[in-house]
Order: sequence, then C-alpha cells, then structure tokens
Amino acid sequence: MSQRDTAWGPMEVQRVAASEAAQALQAVGIELKLCVPNLPWVAPEGEAKDLVRRAKEEDAEPVWRGDAYLLLSEPGQVTQALQHCRDELGYSQLYDLTACDPAADETQLKLIYGLRNLKSKARLILQSRVDKAAASVPSVASIYQAADWHEREAGEMYGITFVGHPDPRNILLPDDWVGFPLRKDYEYPDEYNGVSCKE
Amino acid sequence: MSSHPAAEFDHLPGREVELDVATQDCLIHMGPQHPATHGVMRVLLKADGEILAGAQTHLGYLHRCAEKIGENVDWLQYLPYTDRYDYLAAMNNNLGYSLAVESLLGAEVPARAQYLRVICAELNRIASHLFAVGTYGLDLGAFTPLFSALRDREEVLELFEKICGARLTYSYIRPGGVMNDAPEGWLTKVAEFLDRFEKTWHEYWTLMVENKIFIERTANIGVLTEEQALSWGCTGPMLRGSGVDWDLRRDQPYLIYDQLEFDVVKGIGYRGTLGDCFDRNFVRMFEMTESVRILRQCLAQIPDGEIMHEEVGAVIRPAPGESYVSIENPRGELGHYVVSNGTKIAVRVRVRSPSFCNMSVAEHLMPGSMLGDAASIIGSVDIVVGETDR
Amino acid sequence: MGILENSLPDSILTTRVDWMINWSRASSLWPMTFGLACCAIEMIAVGGPRFDVDRFGAGAFRATPRQADLMVVAGTVNFKMGERVKRLYDQMPGPKYVMALGACATGGGPYHKFGYTVMKGVDRIVPVDVYVAGCPPRPEAFLDGLMLLQKKIMRQRVIRAEPKKVVLPAGIGAQPAT
Repeated sequence: MSQRDTAWGPMEVQRVAASEAAQALQAVGIELKLCVPNLPWVAPEGEAKDLVRRAKEEDAEPVWRGDAYLLLSEPGQVTQALQHCRDELGYSQLYDLTACDPAADETQLKLIYGLRNLKSKARLILQSRVDKAAASVPSVASIYQAADWHEREAGEMYGITFVGHPDPRNILLPDDWVGFPLRKDYEYPDEYNGVSCKE
Repeated sequence: MSSHPAAEFDHLPGREVELDVATQDCLIHMGPQHPATHGVMRVLLKADGEILAGAQTHLGYLHRCAEKIGENVDWLQYLPYTDRYDYLAAMNNNLGYSLAVESLLGAEVPARAQYLRVICAELNRIASHLFAVGTYGLDLGAFTPLFSALRDREEVLELFEKICGARLTYSYIRPGGVMNDAPEGWLTKVAEFLDRFEKTWHEYWTLMVENKIFIERTANIGVLTEEQALSWGCTGPMLRGSGVDWDLRRDQPYLIYDQLEFDVVKGIGYRGTLGDCFDRNFVRMFEMTESVRILRQCLAQIPDGEIMHEEVGAVIRPAPGESYVSIENPRGELGHYVVSNGTKIAVRVRVRSPSFCNMSVAEHLMPGSMLGDAASIIGSVDIVVGETDR
Repeated sequence: MGILENSLPDSILTTRVDWMINWSRASSLWPMTFGLACCAIEMIAVGGPRFDVDRFGAGAFRATPRQADLMVVAGTVNFKMGERVKRLYDQMPGPKYVMALGACATGGGPYHKFGYTVMKGVDRIVPVDVYVAGCPPRPEAFLDGLMLLQKKIMRQRVIRAEPKKVVLPAGIGAQPAT
C-alpha cells in the first residue's frame, strides 16, 4: 500500500518516480529538466507572509508547491518519451493530457501529459512548451488511445495542432466556432448564428 | 451476391430470381434528445441491418465553460461550479476541488472535518450508484428499479438537506474544511439509514441484477478488455469491471482512507465474460455495500473537534505552483489540475472528468453488437453529460 | 380547434365550453423528457415516488416531441443544443407550452457572465410560458411552476374570440400596447 503523506494523497512516491524517470529518459537521449517544488508539502506557520516578502525581493528565486514534473526541451521528442515510458517504465495509463496558457503576454503554451503506473502506484507528469504563434506538436494518440479525445479538446480550446491525429475535429465546441476560448486573450463573441450573446 | 444476408434463403421456392440487391448502411441518430443517453449526447450509429457497423459520439451539447470560469472567478467562488459538472455526485466534486486547493495551500484539515468529508462523499457514492443502477434499468426498459432507487436516494438527499440545506448542489465541503458541523442526531440518522439500506439492497439484487431479462440484455455485451480499458484511460467501475484491481481510495489514499478497511470490488465475469456490461453494473452494486462498510467505521471513529482549518479564510491565495489531485468519484478518477500564481484567481483549473475518458471507449465497444445493445452499452458506462462536457 | 377557433362571442355556453377544453388540457399535460443538466435530476425526482407529478396529471413523460405538449427546458442551453431545442419545439403539436426550469434556462444562471457558449435564457429562441427559479429548483418549485402553468391554461380563450382592442380617443391616457 502506498503511504499517505498528506491529506491529498501520497507525495513521496511521485517525486521518487519523477527523478527515476528523468534518469531513464535522459539515458535514451531525451533532453529534459527535472523540476522539483521547493516549498514543503504542508505549510509551516507564517508561510503566507514569507511568500509575500520573497515575492517583493529583486530577482527572487521562484518558490512553488505541487507536483514534480519533467520538462521536455524539445516538444518533438514527446512521442519518443511517452513510448519509452509506456514500454520500458510501465506507465500503462495516460490519465490526462491538457494545455495551459500561463498569461496573455506569454509567448508559449504549456502542454501537460499525465501518466500513471498501476504497479508502482506512481504518477508522472511530463510537460513541454509550444509557441502560441505556431502551436504544433506530434500526436500521441497512437501510443495511448486516451489521448484521442484529450487532444481534440486541447486543440479546439488552445489552437494547438496535433500532427498525425486520426480525427482532428472539434469535440465540445460547434464546428464553426471562431477563436480559442481558453487562451487568455480570447474575446467573447457578440453573437452566434443570429442569437445574441449580449446581456 | 453470396455475401448477402438473405443468401441463405436462396434455395427456397420462389427465390429463383437472382437477388441483385445492394444493401446500404443505415445511419441512425441517437440523441441529443434521447432518454437512454443520460443527458444530451449524440451517438451516430451506423447499422447494417440489425448489426451495428460503427458508432461515433458527438459531445458538446452541454458545454458550460467551467474551465474558463475557473480562470475568472476567485478560488472560493469556483466551488459552486464544481457541484454542477457531476450533479449526481456533487459532494465528491467539492471534495476533489477542495483537496486540490488545499494541496497548494499546504493546509491539512482537522480530523473531524476529514471524517465528515468521507461520510458525505460515501453517502453520495451510494446515492449516485443508486441512480446509475436505477436508470440502467430504465435504459433496458424496466421502470421499477428507477422508482425503487429514487425512494432510497431521497433518504440520502434528506440527510444532505439536514446537514447543508441543499438537495443536489451542496458546496458543503470547501477548501479548509466543511461548511458546518453535523447537526445533533445527524450521525444517528445516517446509521439508521444504513440499517434500512442494507435490507433494501437485497431487493435491488433480486429484483434487477438476478433478473433473467436483465442478464440476457447485459451479459456478454460490450466486452471491454483490460488492455483496452487501460489504453483508453478508463477509471472507476469501468476499469474495475474489466478486472483491474485499482482504486484511488486504497492505492493513493487521501483523507483517512488509509485507516479504513474496505475491499476493492472488481468484475469477475459473474454471468458472462469479464468486462461486459453486467460486470460494470455488478461492481456498482457491490461498491454500495463497501460504502456502507466504510460509513459504519467512520461513524464509530469520528472524533470531536474543529471543522475548519484556522488559517483558511474567505479569500485564499494559494502558494504559486501547479498540482494535480485526484480522488475516486463514483464514476472514476476525478482529477483537478490547478495552477496558481499566488493571487486570488487561478491561472488554470483543469478538470479531468471520469465520464469523458470512459465515454471515449464506448463507440469502440459497439461495432458488432445488435442495435438494441447500444442503449445497454451507453447505460453501463454511466455518464453524466455535465461532466463529459463541463 | 379548427374553424371554430377564436370565432365565437362570449356567452355562458362558450365560456363553459372553453372551461371544459382548458380543464382537459391543463389536467393532462404530457411533458417531453428533455433533461439537459442538473435540473433534469430534480425533474426525474418529481416523477419519482416522493413528489409524484402524476397527481397533477403531468406524469406521462414522452420521449418524442410529437406526443408532448409541454417542453420542460431543464438545464443549461448552449448554442450547440439551442438549434436542437428550436427544432424539437417546432416538432411539437399545438397547443404547446414551455417551462424554463431553473436559472440557466431562465437567463444563463451562473454561466451568464463567463460562459461563452451558454445561451442567456432559452427565451431567446422559443417562447416561454413559465419561469421557475432555483439552481436547481426544488421539486416543490417545479410543482409550483406546473400549477402556475395550469392556471395560465385555464385562462386561455379557445373558441371565444379574443377581446377587441380598446382604442382610446386621442388625448385620454396612454394607448395600450398591442
């Protein structure tokens, strides 16, 4: 049984898995960076004030909490990395695939792949960055079939092209929808097919 | 035309004329307004006679932009929206989101709040599975299971009404703890409900699950293999119905689940092949009894004390970072991927909904089965469209 | 009501006939099973044993618009679904009634401001007879809305002609609209 470290689930097993996977992937020639959070799992007393103080410092070192993840330097290598994770490292399930737009003035989108190993009970998060202007990554739907619908969703919401996707239609939005709603600079429509969207 | 389905009758008298009939696949739209789709979802069925040749699922008829809203309202204001994506298990949604926010806050809630959370989540699991089992009967043409299930479900809703005032959308479990303590005598009422429910559970089993027609309509239909289930990212009863031993409550224990004793129910091919529609329903039936077990332990162990973390107030500013927290919803793994930049509004609230992933495999289970089995397969996935579309 | 519709003057006979027709319409409303979102669960609960909508004659939930005369829009309508709502409404035979159940169907509800695909009220595409408040409305609120609709139906003129428009001489008060 996995040990429960915190009330929201085991954390130690995830960090161990991330560092092990980082070594294994680097060994097969995939360039990546292991990102580990530097705040404790459970907040010590007075953390909020400390965070405010540190944010005001010049050139403050970023402090953050959450899951450790692997940041791929080359988005094109994602198929190779996931293939290796599935075949060699035993990550048999892709539980999530999504994207994130950090801010309107950022030039890059985050892509997040979540993998799970049912034997070692570990999760692994891989991330990569794509340019907003020409967002295009290879599709992983041939490796994990679960990526099929997730990629369609990320594609319509963020305007990312998944090269090699078997069926790149819109999934949640109507086919003739304009714009990518989850981008931070998205402008709400005035009307759609003659029905006003105004108040 | 030897491949023609009617070819086997060619030797009969009157059939001397050579058949030159080209058959055509028939496209049938099921939904978006169809009682067996559990909401507004469209399945385009391609039927070759009575056999399904293919299916294609169309979503988006209930897309309500929950993720965009998460980036525009503050952390606590988003809580009521979590009620509304899986409206049959709103307590579990509240719990998933609250745990995700707490993981960024670094706040562990007091023990009594953890117990109250588990009690509410498990009661809601019972209510949700009751509804799933009842509407599954409705999909297969039996009205009685639904009305029996609603009778018991109303009792659970009454308990929820007593503790938080709402019947369906609770917002009871919130970041930092729970909204208020259980009123006096509430825990006894839960125990009384469990006593009654254990008796009526046998009614569902004999009335519905052991019914010959039900078995005929579900056993050996829509068989999902273990490899398929893993590759398509299925979770919850869908995955366990295929014989995979995986439950987040045991394998990634959150709250107090590591101190509770319960079994993970998985499909055994009780009346047919492993991973068929019957097995998925079988898992749901027995998960209800496991929930009763968990609830009894919680009621015996629940301590007194605080119900809210003292440092979590009305406006919360989680530490910068990104965190993925998943819990076992009645339908599977409900994950929240939250990104914070230290302000009071989230950068990203991603909802990994179990129904979305479970539904993606359904269209691949249909080819080869009969037209009437489409309802059986979709019903066994137990989707909530509010959650697939968010 | 064919050629007789709205053609006869008010009298004891026509008012009684109208009452009879309205009474039969109001006490056997056949709703369409049209659950969209959360409110649909409460609609099912109304059909269930505790609240038992059959007591009010509206328990025959039909799956097809051709057999229904009450469309209960129970839940959020977005643009993709809105086209279907309109089409289903057009398929219903008259007289037909629409109940907007819950905040979303009434005016977008909690998705009003940031929901880019959410239609801000189903009354933008179909005429609504009764609005029921709540998110989701309690079953009692649904029953209240149903009884309100029944009252509205009882006031309808079926064979009686619509009252003549009153045109006031110029200079006396404001002219009534339509």
